[in-house]
Amino acid sequence: MDVVVVLAHPCTDSLNHAAAHRAEAVLRARGHTVHLLDLYADGVGAAMSPAERTAYHGEAPLLDPVLQRHAALLQRAGALVFVYPTWWSSMPAILKGWLERVMVPGVAFVFNEQHKVRPGLTNVRRIVGISTYGSPRLYVKAINDNGRRTLMRALRLNTGLRTRARWVALYAVDTATPDEREAFLSTVEKRMRAL
Amino acid sequence: MKVLVVYCHPNEGSLVAAARDRVLAGLRAGGHDVRLTDLYAEGFRPELSEWERRHHLDPPDGKPDIAPHADNLRWCEALVFVYPTWWAGQPGMLKGWIDRVWVAGVAYELPDGANRIRPLLGNIRRIMAVTTHGSSKFVNALEGEGGKRIVTRSLRVLCHRFARTSWVALYSVDRADDARRERFLARAEAAARRLR
Repeated sequence: MDVVVVLAHPCTDSLNHAAAHRAEAVLRARGHTVHLLDLYADGVGAAMSPAERTAYHGEAPLLDPVLQRHAALLQRAGALVFVYPTWWSSMPAILKGWLERVMVPGVAFVFNEQHKVRPGLTNVRRIVGISTYGSPRLYVKAINDNGRRTLMRALRLNTGLRTRARWVALYAVDTATPDEREAFLSTVEKRMRAL
Repeated sequence: MKVLVVYCHPNEGSLVAAARDRVLAGLRAGGHDVRLTDLYAEGFRPELSEWERRHHLDPPDGKPDIAPHADNLRWCEALVFVYPTWWAGQPGMLKGWIDRVWVAGVAYELPDGANRIRPLLGNIRRIMAVTTHGSSKFVNALEGEGGKRIVTRSLRVLCHRFARTSWVALYSVDRADDARRERFLARAEAAARRLR
């Protein structure tokens, strides 16, 4: 199966990078074809440009060649894995902007004759979110986890609700012990083996 | 009131740009003191850089490119967001403004060894958002209204303890006729005029 791993952290020595590379290694060992999209390394911009907004409802909404490549990979993928730090209870701007700029009409969804949104990524059967949080679990639950909701609900409306979704989280990451970090990475590997 | 308006849309001529103008008109009519941040017009860079990540707990004095934004946040008593809701939340551009400007020393402090932050923006007593949604209210409810929760919860807890929030939204904007659009704009203008 083709698996697209989307990584959104600016520091290559971060726990997020470690998690993404562990995931990639496990998936390759299982015989999957893995495409790791490192949004910072690819220089993806977080802001939809005025030209992209104008082209959004037109015939060719994808203007950026990097995003055209990403979109082609998404349309072949059987699973999507997102790895990012949760900032302000949601995903970093670079990942939010990527969703907006690559998940355009014709890729993530299509409009039917009644101008209603229909899923476009029905090839995606699995979504896994992997995220680190500065706050403890209870605080995240009280404030709400909007990045998780966006991927588990908004995105899943575009892959079809039969898509199975899983979440792997490490809360209170700033005060996590080395053991807790390693346990988190092991859980990531376990989830990837079960994909 | 001293009001900071944070506006985010790539194109002039959009409904959101019209909402910005009506909000500004309402605020002027209400006698408010207004500062406008137009993220696209000023070419704001929304991606938090590697350097910023590594220094995210340092005092903000060493981050001159966000200084005017930090100054606006400390100055205002009310914060008004005007933006389109995309993928259940704020556009990447606006999320980036939050990521980069609401940092330690500006919005909160994180005492050594703690993982609960302490708010620093007690000056902000009022938050309002004016936004458009492509999908229906029902679909937004299914998706969990993430953008609304970021404003009314994540950001609000860094403001005044009794800060009040309000939400002016137009759902199913692509199918809204001119009358519904105008009603939305009128609501935004009236809410801005009455802001207190």
